[in-house]
Amino acid sequence: MSKTNFDDYLNESLTQLNKNITPDKELWDGIERAIMTNKQASTVKSVVWPKLTAITACCVAALVSTMVFFTSPETNTAVAMSDFFTKQKQSLLVQYQSQAALTDNWQVQLQELEDAEQAIKQTLENEPQNKALLSMLAQVYQQQLDLINKVHAPRWQQI
Amino acid sequence: MLMDANQPITDQVQQMLIDQVKNGDQLAYKALYDMHKAKVYGLCLRLIADEGHAQDATQEVFVQVWHKIAQFDGRSQFSTWLHSVASNIAISYVRKQKHWLNTVISFEQSGMDEQSANDCNGLNGLDKLIVRLPERARMVFVLYAVEGYRHEEIATLLGMAVGSSKAQYHRARQLLKQWYENE
Repeated sequence: MSKTNFDDYLNESLTQLNKNITPDKELWDGIERAIMTNKQASTVKSVVWPKLTAITACCVAALVSTMVFFTSPETNTAVAMSDFFTKQKQSLLVQYQSQAALTDNWQVQLQELEDAEQAIKQTLENEPQNKALLSMLAQVYQQQLDLINKVHAPRWQQI
Repeated sequence: MLMDANQPITDQVQQMLIDQVKNGDQLAYKALYDMHKAKVYGLCLRLIADEGHAQDATQEVFVQVWHKIAQFDGRSQFSTWLHSVASNIAISYVRKQKHWLNTVISFEQSGMDEQSANDCNGLNGLDKLIVRLPERARMVFVLYAVEGYRHEEIATLLGMAVGSSKAQYHRARQLLKQWYENE
């Protein structure tokens, strides 16, 4: 019996050729691992800034407490605290300046907190070592930082 | 979502899966992978002619597709888009392997471009002959005769002249004929 003509063999083989070939090895595990690794890396990237901000805020709060309760009477605690928070606030505002805020009225809220800050500072002029007032001032500063972070941080998380 | 592999999967279901994958759903992606893995692996194996490397390339295809799926706008069939991604990856995989071999040993002298068939034990019939073809002739033959690309498209994909693609196809046919007749 003669062999089929090559052209016929080729045409027939190509027509019948199954394009699907199942791999011997299960490949999904490797794919899933690669996807997960990348996903985790991007998750770390997206949460690192809010976390850093939160850590910074905690450090700030701790520093304020230290300043309020452990600074010597000779030091003008309110001024030192004010300088510290002003720098923190400016730094955050610069950091977020190119980023849209989550709400439109956050600057109104910030202004209200700044008004409260001014009122406490005025009272502190008469009682510079009043721990309750210093603590209130620290809280108002902290609220300002929290507000700035809160209205901007969700955008970071979306990246 | 559970998929019945024996049932034809409608475009709507596939589109739904793609939408879920775009939202980061890995289960949906596993379903898409199950639907297309044999086709992608078949293409990679015929182009690369090595089971291990074809498996690696198939994994790379699906990892890249996961990252690129947002770019799939639905203007073409998903299978066409996936096929294009797979072809590009398999071809670049062959080039990377060749480059690596060239840096270690002389590729032409090694005879490795014609002995790959030893690493594809599961194949038979025409496939068994295809994987014996020299690299360029094999890639052109697979893309033209098996996958239905035009020589112009192959020339672009492989970075060669259209005439070279035709010449490589002719070379592949001659070799296949020779091997078939001597079998």
